[in-house]
Parts: sequence; C-alpha cells; structure tokens
Amino acid sequence: MITKLQNARIYDPINRINGKIRDLYIKNEYIIEKPKRNEKISKTINLKNKVIMAGGIDIHSHIAGGKVNLARLLLPEEHRKHLYSSSKDLRSGSGLGTCSSFHIGYKYAKLGYCAVFEPAVLPSNARSAIIEMSDIPFVDKGTYTVLSNDDFLLKLIQKKSNQKKINDYVSWILNSTKGLGIKIVNPGGINAFKFNQRALNLDEKNKKYGITPRSILKVLTKSLIDLKAPHPIHVHGCNLGVPGNVNTTIKQISAVEGKPMHLTHIQYHSYDNKGDRKFSSGANILADKINKNKNITCDVGQIMFGQTVTASADTMSQYNNHHFARPKKWICADIECDAGCGIVPFEYQDKNFVNSLQWAIGLELFLLIKDPWRIYLTTDHPNGAAFTAYPRLIKLLMDKSYRDDEFEKINKHAQKNSDLCNLKREYSLYDIAILTRAGPAKVLGLNNIGHLGVGAKANITVYNDKKDKEEMFDNPFMVFKDGNLIVKNGKIQKVFNGKFYTAETDFDKSIEKEISPYFQKYIGRGMESFKIQNQELWDYEIETENIRCNRNDY
Amino acid sequence: MKNINFTCPFCSLLCDDIQLEIKENYLKPINSICPILSTSLKKKVDDQFSRVNGKKTNITKAINELSLLLKKSKSTLFTGMETDIKGTKAALDIIDKHKCIIDHFSSDSYVKNLKSMQETGGFFLTLSELKNRSDTIIIIQSSGEELPMLFEKYIFPKNTINNLKKRKVIFIGSKVPKFLYKNKRKINFEYIKSDSDDLLNLISSVRNSINLQSEEIKDKKILNFLELLKKTKYGSILWTASELQNDVSDIIINELNLLIQDLNKFTRFSGLSLSASNHILTVNEVLLWQTGFPIRTSFANGFPVHDTEQFSTKKLLDNKEVDLVVWINSFNEKNIIINKKIKNVLIGIPTHSQKNKVDIFIPVGTPGLDHNSHLLRVDKVVSMPLKKIRNISLPSVEQVLNKVKERIANDN
Repeated sequence: MITKLQNARIYDPINRINGKIRDLYIKNEYIIEKPKRNEKISKTINLKNKVIMAGGIDIHSHIAGGKVNLARLLLPEEHRKHLYSSSKDLRSGSGLGTCSSFHIGYKYAKLGYCAVFEPAVLPSNARSAIIEMSDIPFVDKGTYTVLSNDDFLLKLIQKKSNQKKINDYVSWILNSTKGLGIKIVNPGGINAFKFNQRALNLDEKNKKYGITPRSILKVLTKSLIDLKAPHPIHVHGCNLGVPGNVNTTIKQISAVEGKPMHLTHIQYHSYDNKGDRKFSSGANILADKINKNKNITCDVGQIMFGQTVTASADTMSQYNNHHFARPKKWICADIECDAGCGIVPFEYQDKNFVNSLQWAIGLELFLLIKDPWRIYLTTDHPNGAAFTAYPRLIKLLMDKSYRDDEFEKINKHAQKNSDLCNLKREYSLYDIAILTRAGPAKVLGLNNIGHLGVGAKANITVYNDKKDKEEMFDNPFMVFKDGNLIVKNGKIQKVFNGKFYTAETDFDKSIEKEISPYFQKYIGRGMESFKIQNQELWDYEIETENIRCNRNDY
Repeated sequence: MKNINFTCPFCSLLCDDIQLEIKENYLKPINSICPILSTSLKKKVDDQFSRVNGKKTNITKAINELSLLLKKSKSTLFTGMETDIKGTKAALDIIDKHKCIIDHFSSDSYVKNLKSMQETGGFFLTLSELKNRSDTIIIIQSSGEELPMLFEKYIFPKNTINNLKKRKVIFIGSKVPKFLYKNKRKINFEYIKSDSDDLLNLISSVRNSINLQSEEIKDKKILNFLELLKKTKYGSILWTASELQNDVSDIIINELNLLIQDLNKFTRFSGLSLSASNHILTVNEVLLWQTGFPIRTSFANGFPVHDTEQFSTKKLLDNKEVDLVVWINSFNEKNIIINKKIKNVLIGIPTHSQKNKVDIFIPVGTPGLDHNSHLLRVDKVVSMPLKKIRNISLPSVEQVLNKVKERIANDN
C-alpha cells in the first residue's frame, strides 16, 4: 500500500531539505521514491500549510530499569497526581517523571517521537530493563550499558591488560546485555564510593585499584573506536553537580585527545565556582572548548522548573545530593559489583538561586555551542524535567522574546550572574530538526531513522505550523511510525511495539575463559545466566534490529 | 536418565548451580541440600484435570466458566499471584481491562517494607555486594527459612573479590538459628539477644548518638554496638519483615532504613530485606512499571488506586467487598482462603490440596519446570532466565489467562 503525503513543508537536514514543499511517499514501513505510473497510490493526504519532520529521537532518557522502578516506589504521591484511565485500546497508568511504561510510549508518540534510548542500563539489570521496555509501545528503543565501575574491568585496567583484551570484554558486555552503546558513569567513582571515597577527581586514584578516572575514560573511549561501535563512548563524567566541575569537564575533553566522545547532560557538568555564592556559570568556557573540539558531541540535560525526581547510576553524586531531596526521602544502592544507583526527588524552583542558574546555564549552552549537529535536546528525563517539557524548551530556543520574559521571572541574583538575555540566537525549524532528529541519528550510527530520504523508516511527524512553538510541538497533527498512522490530532490510533536496536560485535571467545570463573567464584551466579539470549527477547516479542559495528568515520 | 543444569524457581535466590538427575519426569537434586528444592521436586503429578464445582472437566470448559464469571463479576480480586513476569503481565492485562484489584500472598509482611520505602527510602545492596564487600553483616531476627542457601552462598563464601577474611556476623534477635552456630568457625560471630522492643531501643539510641552528638550513652550494650558500627568499613543489615514482632515491625523497619542512611555519614552501610517469599518482588516490579504503583492496587475506577490497608485480601474477603476471587499459585500448595459466599477460582499447580473446594480449578505448570520463565531475585536487580525441563503438558499462567482474555473478547 502506498500513501502520498502531499504539499507539506519538509525539514530534513540529513538530506539538506530546509522547508521546501514536497511530496513524500510511504510504502509499507518505508519511505520510497515517487512511484511509477503503474503503481497505485492508495491514499493521498493533503498536508498544505503543515510542517513535516522525521520522527523525533531522544538520545538520553531514563525510561526503564531498576532505578526508574525504585523512583516509582519512592513517590506514590507523584503518581497520584498524574493518573491515566484505561480505554478500549489503551492501558491505565500513572506518573510523569517516572511515568508507567505504556504511557511513556503513548506520550512520546503524541509528541512525535519515534525512537528513545535508555542511557544507563547496569549489566546486572539489563534483562529486566529490556523486558520492561517491551511494555513501552510505539517507539524504537535501545540501551547503553554502564561500564567503568565494575570490578572485573577495573581489575583488567589495574593489571595493565592490553587494549585488545579490554575490547573483547567491552564487546562481550555489549553482546551479553544487548546494548547499543556503552556509557561511562563517574568512572571509578561509583566503585570508590563503595570503599567510602566521597569524591574522585579525574586524576585521583581509586583506593582499591589504584587507577584514575582518566585511565578508565581513555581505555573505554579507545575501545569503542577500535570496535567501530555505532555510537562513540557516552560519558557522564566526574563530579556531577559540583561547583567548579566545568574544569573537570574541560580536562576530560582534553583527556580523549581528539577521539570521538559524547558528553551527556553537560548542564550538570558546566558549573564554575566564582562569585560570592561560589556557584556560577561555566557555560561560556565549556561551549568554547566544545566549539573548538569537533570530536565532541553532547546533550544538554536542561532543567525546567517544577517537581521531578533524579535517578542515576552515580551513587557517589546522588548520595552527596540527598540533602536537597524534596520531598525529604531518597534511595541509594550498591549494585552487583558493577555499579550503583541513587534516587533523589527534586523540585527545581525559579526563585532559588542555584536552580535558576542551572536553568540559565542549560540555555546558555544551547545558544553558545555553535554547531547544532553536535548538541542534542534532552532534559536527561526525568532528572532535569520530564520529556513532556520538550515543547516548552523548544519555544525557549526558538523565541527570544519568550525566553527574555521567562528570564525575568527567575531569581534576581541568578539573572545578574547569567548572560542569557544577551544571547540573541534563535533556533530555526531546521535547527530543531537537527537537534531532535538528524543529529541524534547520526551520532548513534543509525542510518534508517532521523531523516525522510528513500529507504528511511516511515517515521514521520506532521505539525500544524503555529507561531507559538510550544503549542506546535506539543500537539502534532499526525504521527506515522513505520508507515502506520499512530496519532492524529493528539489521539492515539493504533498500538504496536517498535524495534529494539542492538550493536552486533565480534570478540575473541577466549575472554569467556576469564569471565566464567569470575562469575562462578564471586558473583554468585553463572556467566550463562548473565548473558541475555536472543530467544529470551523473542519470548517477549521483542524484534531486534542489529547494527553491525562497522562505523568508518571515527 | 540424564543430568542437567537447573535454575531453581522455588525461592527468590534463584540458584543456578543446581544439577538435577532426570529420569522420565522424576527429578532429583544431585548437588544441593536445599530443603525447599527437595520438597518441591517430590510432588508427583498424577492428575491434571481442571475442575468446575469440584467435578473433573477439560481445561477449555474451565476457561469458559472463568470467562463467564469474570464478565458477570462486579468486583474481582486477583490474589496469591504466585507467578512469573509473563504470568503477571497477562494477569494485569485482564485486571486493568476488567477493573479488578490485585494483591499477593506475601503482602502482609511486604507492605511493611513498602511503607518505609515510600516514607523514607533507604540504602540497599544486592547479593554479590553482600558476598564480596561486607566486612560486617548484621542479621536482624531472620531464620533464613525463606532463602535456605543465602548464608552458605553469600554470607560464608569461600572467595570474595575483596579477600575478606573472617567477616564479622552479628545476630540480633531472640533465637539464633542453628546454621549460624554450625558455621561459627568460618566467621567472627556475635550474638545480641534482643526482643523487638529492645531492638527498637537499640536502633533509636544509636541513631540519636549519630545525629545528636550531645546525647550520652550509658548502656554498655548500646555503646559496644555503636563502637562496632564505627569500626565497620562496609556493613550490611539484613532483616525479614515477617519475623519481626507484628505491632512494631513497621517502626523497626523504618528505623533500620533511617539508621542505614545515617551510618553512611561516616562509613559505608547498606541494607537488604529478605522478604521475598512467593515471588512477590517479581509481581511487584511488573506492577510498578506497568501501572506506577506497587502491590495492593485497585483498577475499579479505571485508573490505579493504591492502598495497602484497603486492598488487603483478608479485608476484601472478610467484608465481601468482591464477588469473585482468582487465586494464582504456580509454585506450591500454599493454602488459600475460601469464602463460600463468593466465587472462588484457583489457577494452581495440579497437586493443590484445595482444588476440589473451589468453584473453578485450572491446573498450571511451574515456571522453570514446565515452561521457560523469568523471575526476579531477592535484591530486585537481577532477573534470572529459567528453562523448561519437564514435559507434562501443563499450560502456564500466561497461556491460561490469555485464553480467558481471548474468550471474553470473542463473546463481546
């Protein structure tokens, strides 16, 4: 069946189409060239005055796994504020920042998003997290497996194992946990906290293993390049949330010596410690460094005012942040000799100096980092805000006068400490399409999403062209996923599941001769129970899309 | 006859190092002394009939009858809920659509943990952290009966990553379990005799001493305990909600969670609740991710409403607040409450002793014996894959409930 989308204004940066009126053709799941005369077009939809982009891609959003479920458990009061009734085809649910699984899918679909990546899956929790994700409908999904704190890897680095062996281990982890990427979280710091170290700087040694975060960062960055992995190393660096941490972030960029690295939620890593409150914006310094280092990509982790909950594998930082918990309760956990997690509820307030400045810092980063292909739109859901805040964030980026009005409302002292109102840049629709579609697809190494060219998945979002960009992005006119109309005028049409992206890597099987006894001796279960088999995914009707590790632009 | 590797589904440790001898469908553990495993495997299945009103019938008829009851019911409770991830998912699909209530066999004790998590949070650890990291383990009145191999595997292990020699194990409670005495040589053992009130006093005094440093402690027992905590590099505290004195167990658990949080001000400590019987954690995790709320949740209003008191099975059955109860138990023969004034359905293992006493009985297989499965371990982080090893043609809970769903949909 062929569907023709007629007369729409198309923003498709991968194919360099900037607002041209064109027709699009969908055949089954994919976008095709204009059909030949003898091919029947079954349906034509006139989209005059509408704006078309590829389906959105969220590169970093905590949508599943043990930490999200712990947050749900911790905050029944938040869930009671957001209740969703069941209907003939839709399940009931609750929550916003830690929304229940079916409604995560419904909400993303209604925002025109078609792919979402869970960025912090602990190896030991991967199986549960993936099974949980099978209950998130519509969107294609994938995960980044957390490494950088597990005792096996740290021991390999301590013993100065050669890079090949590290690569085999990384590759084995990717295969065993069905990850698309590898995420570093506070390298060595989560492990150090288990030995009661309360902070770990880039060149500070982990007490137990005597190795530094720098060494872990370098080894893992190289590993993903050697493996030609789809996505370069995804890094949540040292000292999250600590005033003055922008200097650490700068050093981290230097540490990888020009190699590709994705820095995540940089807003939380852009703090300087100037001024009478010893907390100031480091956005300028970091943006300058990123502008000069073309090997770096990033997402922002913008905060938006209101109640949310922070959930992270970074136990060291989350423990330090528990004093700010609002409501006053929190959970931390040390996990399975591979990582940890911390859940701290937060209410970002516009009258609070630090929160206001955090808000401004995020926006400064968006506006100061020049190349939209290297910065992606995230709130580090739910840490900065729920992903449902994206339309408002887009308006802040596209509309200077709105931004100025909002700036006027924040803490006065923070206003004095921010350059935000002097930044005149306004993002265009083309820029937004890069930030939310083309850029993430490119850095994730996924060629069949994020664009509207021939052969791409027919993931298409049709917007009403409105002046108020929040309204425009909050309520797409139509959303197609794999060629199916899933949302029309805010109403869900048909429910089904998207695919699950994994990286397909090779490794020298002899690494298992070391891993297997390690599991047997220390972990308390066998290596075979750790490895997720394809059959298990099929049992949950999870269709995988395996991305071969052959990226050639590193 | 052959030997196979087996992951045991009968408690929340989910040991995967079991060797079984299989002869036809007779299963015998070779390398395990676990009492739960050997008892569970001894059950002989010689009758696989469904029953309606106590009379043998075929499964299709029983499923049709259950579908009719569900359609007619104004308020249905799904409880027991001893099943795996897929069984929970299938049940929730029906519970949500038909506006039912969900509870579990083990909720009475588990909600005590739950309430503390909702009020305070906590600092937790998983089994391999317990095994490899803890130089000091404090066990609060736990017999270990729910998780028989916990101590051998995780508390007296031969090897640890951190090369822990003779770790300190302190038992606080009224009666030391035998296995601790038996293994005293492997550990540096200490016993603090204490009933629940003493325990509460001990924890509160220690907390006061940490948080209000002016408070002077005179009681030697408390002073010694505090000293021990201060010397600990990485400590773990384990408790079993069901073994604490019922009227103060809520407060004790909450105080324990607060104490663990407090101790992290100067050293490292974390806790682990050992309340995981009848796979309540598996069910609870699925419920949390699918609905946002834990066990004891009603969907009667079309959206989830969670209340640990209002939706207790006993209360709902005693007060006849439901007209149909569906019990699910695919692991053991735990007794169910039968209230003759309402309709009772049991989806259970074929050897269940109450199968003739309910209105409908539908036999199901056991996850990890009769079908592939996934269950969550006591620490909630690790889920284990379990494989079918027996072939006696019993359906899974998921298959039965999906048929019920199909049948209702066809009727509409």
